[in-house]
Amino acid sequence: MGYRAEQLFAILRSLTPTLLGILGVLILALPIRFFEGALPTPIIPLVVVFFWSIYSPDFLPSPSVFAIGLLQDLLMGGPLGLWASVYLVTQFAVSSQRAYFLGREQKVVWMGFALAAAVASLMLWLVMSLMSGALLPVGALSAQVAVTILIYPLFGAAFRELHSRVLVEV
Amino acid sequence: MDYLGQDRREGLGRKANSRVVLVILILASVFLLLSSLYSAQASVFKKARESVLDVTSPVLEVLSGPIAYVNGVIGYIGDYFAVLEQNDALRHENAELRQWMNEALELRTVVSGFEQIQSYQAPPQVRPVDAYIIGEANDAFARSMIINAGRRKSVEPGQAVVDAEGLLGRIVHIGANASRVLLLTDVQSRVPVYVEGADIEGILVGRTRARPTISIIETSDEIEVLPGQRVLTSGAAGVLPRGLPVGVVEGDASELEVDLYANYTRSRMVRVINFRFPAIDEPAENDVVDAAAETPQDETQAEG
Repeated sequence: MGYRAEQLFAILRSLTPTLLGILGVLILALPIRFFEGALPTPIIPLVVVFFWSIYSPDFLPSPSVFAIGLLQDLLMGGPLGLWASVYLVTQFAVSSQRAYFLGREQKVVWMGFALAAAVASLMLWLVMSLMSGALLPVGALSAQVAVTILIYPLFGAAFRELHSRVLVEV
Repeated sequence: MDYLGQDRREGLGRKANSRVVLVILILASVFLLLSSLYSAQASVFKKARESVLDVTSPVLEVLSGPIAYVNGVIGYIGDYFAVLEQNDALRHENAELRQWMNEALELRTVVSGFEQIQSYQAPPQVRPVDAYIIGEANDAFARSMIINAGRRKSVEPGQAVVDAEGLLGRIVHIGANASRVLLLTDVQSRVPVYVEGADIEGILVGRTRARPTISIIETSDEIEVLPGQRVLTSGAAGVLPRGLPVGVVEGDASELEVDLYANYTRSRMVRVINFRFPAIDEPAENDVVDAAAETPQDETQAEG
């Protein structure tokens, strides 16, 4: 492989988590209505932010997280800065607990993700309730967060493989 | 497994991820959030939303096709189990609708007869724009859809979007080839409606639940609304045409919920109602009146 190609691949590798986050936002914007809309779409960007904030923050710098959140806000039509702040606060909280999570069993990390997702959704609900001036129903949000937490082991395993085999050259 | 190489430095650079940048970005997004509270329609934000719509709509358009197919297949699996009951219900409904059709045809002849003897002003013509739903906010609080028609097809903000059954929502942002529809269930949605038969005008208020509520504008008398009465757009403020079907009343007068006709989980093709409220100083268009008076008769003759 030439030097140029190698450099290109290095850039691609370093951009992969950001691109995965953007893909997650696009998935959220697609008209996916499995089982007549009974199954909510998981918030994959949250998994991306959580995973790379623990295992390799260098691959997902905060400007990337900001961009992912802002794209989601622009695409969903909600207030600007909402998802950006949710993702950034998640990154802040997770990176402060990074030392605890590193090297732990996946079950523990999963619990950590569940906690982070719960906190993120609480924040989302509070902000949206404040902005609309009424306590909003939590049903749809809790279903969506539950699905996101349930799929974490799957995506966590996939991201782990991707990260250790492709992104970081062994 | 090791720590997934977290000690290596192969990302976008070590410095980029410093705490300071993170905190600054958090503050920036909170500031954005607060400022979008006060200037949601600011031109900068609007421009950004429009460009994002334009950039992403080709991708969404390509991906929404296969997804609609998968949605359909998964939907059909449920339908297989209920095919007999559904068939039966549809047969009954069809019989009922045929009676309605005959009645409607009869009424059309009667009405066109009246139109000819009265000096009748036809309501302004609407030019519907057909579009596909290519995107949907899968968000707990933001209820919106993206359709593949925009400024190029003369879609404008505020216009009504309907599916085969009823009103879906209103256009809020437009790009060149795509636009965003704010659904009736969104917490920001406000649509003027009236209840047929009860003589009540009100505003349909979304609240992120499946059923929006009607908030009554003025109540001099006691409200007498019966469950099952039709709710239609009132056309107040002149943005939407009057009489678009919205849903039926559920619940009592203390909290008027509306069971929407529109099916958000099934609709795929929609229609933008390109409506312009007639200006007062506009001269009456005589040819439009003549055309409206003549066409219904022709159609009945053709069908009969």
